[in-house]
Amino acid sequence: MTAHAEAAVHGHDHHGPPIANKSSRIEAVVLGMFMFIGTEAMLFGSFFAAYFFVRVVNPDASTITPEKWAVWPPAPFEFPVFVAGINTCILVTSSFTMHWALQSIKRNNRRGLQAGLVLTILMGTAFLLTQFIEYAHVGFNTSDGAFASVFFGLTGLHGAHVLVGLILLTIAALRAFRGHYSPEHHHGVELPGIYWHFVDVMWIVVYVTVYLL
Amino acid sequence: MSVVEHTSHGPAHGAGAPHRRNIFMRPGFVRGAWCFALFFVIGYYLVFGIRTLAGWDPHEDWNIIVLVGGLTLGPIGFLLGIGAFDYWLYWISGRPTIPDDHANHGATKWQDYFKVNTDHKVIGVQYLATTFVFFTLGGLMAMLFRAELAQPGMQFMDTQTYNGLVSMHAALMIFVFIIPAFAGLANFAVPLMLGAPDMAFPRLNALSFWFLPIAGTMFLCSFLAPGGAFATGWTSYAPLASEQPIGQVFFNMGVQWAGASSILTALNFLVTIITMRAPGMTFWRMPLLVWANFTTSLLVVIATPFIAGSQFFVMFDRVMHTSFFVPEGGGYVLGYQHIFWFYSHPAVYIMILPGFGIISEIISVMSRKPIFGYRLMAMSLLGILVLGFSVWAHHMFVAGMADWLRVPMMISTLLIAVPTGVKVFSWLATLWEGRIHLNTPMLFALGFISMFLIGGLSGVYLASVPITIHASDTYFIVAHIHYVLFGGSVLTIFAGIYYWFPKMTGRMYNESLGKLHFWLTFVSFNLTFFPMHWVGLVGMPRRVADYSDRFADLNLIVSISSFALGASVVVFFYNIIVSWARGPIAESNPWRAMTLEWQVTSPPPVFNFDEIPQVVGGPYEYGVPGARHAILAGTPAPSEAAV
Repeated sequence: MTAHAEAAVHGHDHHGPPIANKSSRIEAVVLGMFMFIGTEAMLFGSFFAAYFFVRVVNPDASTITPEKWAVWPPAPFEFPVFVAGINTCILVTSSFTMHWALQSIKRNNRRGLQAGLVLTILMGTAFLLTQFIEYAHVGFNTSDGAFASVFFGLTGLHGAHVLVGLILLTIAALRAFRGHYSPEHHHGVELPGIYWHFVDVMWIVVYVTVYLL
Repeated sequence: MSVVEHTSHGPAHGAGAPHRRNIFMRPGFVRGAWCFALFFVIGYYLVFGIRTLAGWDPHEDWNIIVLVGGLTLGPIGFLLGIGAFDYWLYWISGRPTIPDDHANHGATKWQDYFKVNTDHKVIGVQYLATTFVFFTLGGLMAMLFRAELAQPGMQFMDTQTYNGLVSMHAALMIFVFIIPAFAGLANFAVPLMLGAPDMAFPRLNALSFWFLPIAGTMFLCSFLAPGGAFATGWTSYAPLASEQPIGQVFFNMGVQWAGASSILTALNFLVTIITMRAPGMTFWRMPLLVWANFTTSLLVVIATPFIAGSQFFVMFDRVMHTSFFVPEGGGYVLGYQHIFWFYSHPAVYIMILPGFGIISEIISVMSRKPIFGYRLMAMSLLGILVLGFSVWAHHMFVAGMADWLRVPMMISTLLIAVPTGVKVFSWLATLWEGRIHLNTPMLFALGFISMFLIGGLSGVYLASVPITIHASDTYFIVAHIHYVLFGGSVLTIFAGIYYWFPKMTGRMYNESLGKLHFWLTFVSFNLTFFPMHWVGLVGMPRRVADYSDRFADLNLIVSISSFALGASVVVFFYNIIVSWARGPIAESNPWRAMTLEWQVTSPPPVFNFDEIPQVVGGPYEYGVPGARHAILAGTPAPSEAAV
């Protein structure tokens, strides 16, 4: 006590910060990631709002050229539902390998962690490449109307998130191969994992609303 | 944690790094400059390369190069250069990170304020200094177009310039002054009030501050763009905005940077408030400033992505020729307004709730009474939070949206006056029979209550559909927004700065100059904005550079008063700068307040507390015999409570 009182007198004397009180059971980084995912979900929300306006609200949708806009997507165009379905399977599987990676390090299985991360990254990359090829062969461009705007907007936003997720996973993998992480300390795997699951769930919503409905 | 070694007791910036790198390689503005240039060139070749490979004409499209190189990658390069990412990059690459030597924590000399700093107190001051630069520039622009409006006819600018100035004024004031100024005050005060050594994520905190000068500079740089500054108002409605000159993109991207800044700060506040409260600091013992920033941060985290979305769509419509808001392509024009206001209406609460918190602190301390209805004050914040998301379309009563949406939006808008009224009456009840100290922060607080009441009442008028139909796009709206944003938010910012000035700087401001500043501001503010109610109701349209002769007299009064309002800020700057340099040394607790930030030295120690304090009671028990808010190690029992 007296030592601290003395330090207080000197004010700026060097000493480390006091250990902050933990006023919640949830850890700061995990909570931060959930908050971040919350804002990300709202960003997707704004894109879904645009989807809603174009597809549901727009009063012109059925009046100007009914034969062109009544169906989704409009007549001459088609979404590659099947390819995207395969892609969905790939992404969903990658969520399981991600989970496996995290469970492995919790059980101190380093090989499992590394294999899980590599598999997840490979599947994520496969998803992204398929998406690119799909863009090239889809038969319409961003300038082909509001349905295309929404299609490219939602899938593109999601693709950007996959890319960010892949970067985070690559960082985690890099450190995993350098021998980082232990059963006690594995936030570097857990947080990209949470993000990856979010990206995955978001894709299912995008796939259902844009391709299937 | 291992023991931290220090080579000397001097400034610790060299510690940890074995050698001093030369000026081009060490984090700082020089490295920032060349990294900006490098990333711009990367952006240039990225665009050029992709367009050449894809065979799009022209290969060198400056619309896109400016967007990608100048407004996206360039700023990222700048952040890399000043060292905002250094720690993370070391960590990412798997290299051993520099042991946390706190080299970038705290400020010992003024140059430290121009570096990436992880100390929430330094960041708070950085925020305030930066935002006041933009406040000054935005204010000067207001005086410029008020000079133009002093008499009917066009004097010395063309209409596009006028629109540009008006838009810039609003964008600067809203996105890089009011919102971040509150973030600055909260950055300084909230961790101290919670009994925390810092924010939850100090490096993220530093990064989100540095987004801000980028955003403001981006807005200002649009003056240099061919075709002039963005000129579509701060609302930047599509499809007008997608057809404007390139300056518009500077607005779209500036909003993204400012938005990212406030989202990351808000996330940081939320995590700090949830996970780092001192022992005993339950939610119902938190000061109302913390409550206010908690709700504000929730608003930011939930709503701000929507403005990001709206600006993305406008940019896509311009750059990628999408048709989000192009009716010919099947887009929905009003979609922009819905998405924009779904952020921007909650944003008006983002711009006032932290002010409510500041006022609650000041009113209670300066009246020497517990705040009236503490729990209801906190609950009303949450009420505003929830209701705030249900009123956005009241900005669109005349926009041609679905008719059935009008009445529900009108009712929810009127409802929001209830929690706001709870707050106003609670402040008044706190004042009742208090021992009121009429010093500068208190004067600003009382000025705020009265002015915000006027602004709030004209808001209740405008909530009703028939009044809006009459008053829409007139100066009545301009009067309303300035009564709530200047008479509301800006007065609370001034109040907060005067209130925490001794804590921030360790010196006391000049009380007489402070009072002079208040009265000059208060009088000239009313002379500037009150007549606008009148000219608005009789039909003077806003956002138009010229007006009918019959409004000439009142507009001349408004213009002259606006110059007086500008002059009042000079008093403020003089007081703040001179007091900071040479003011009398402040006591640690000049207001005899109970909240935790006043229980440490002025300015606070670099890690705030030597030991985390133990909270034992509510924060506002003034005049309650024997009441304590917190017990700090090594300090005698405070005697304030007995007053």
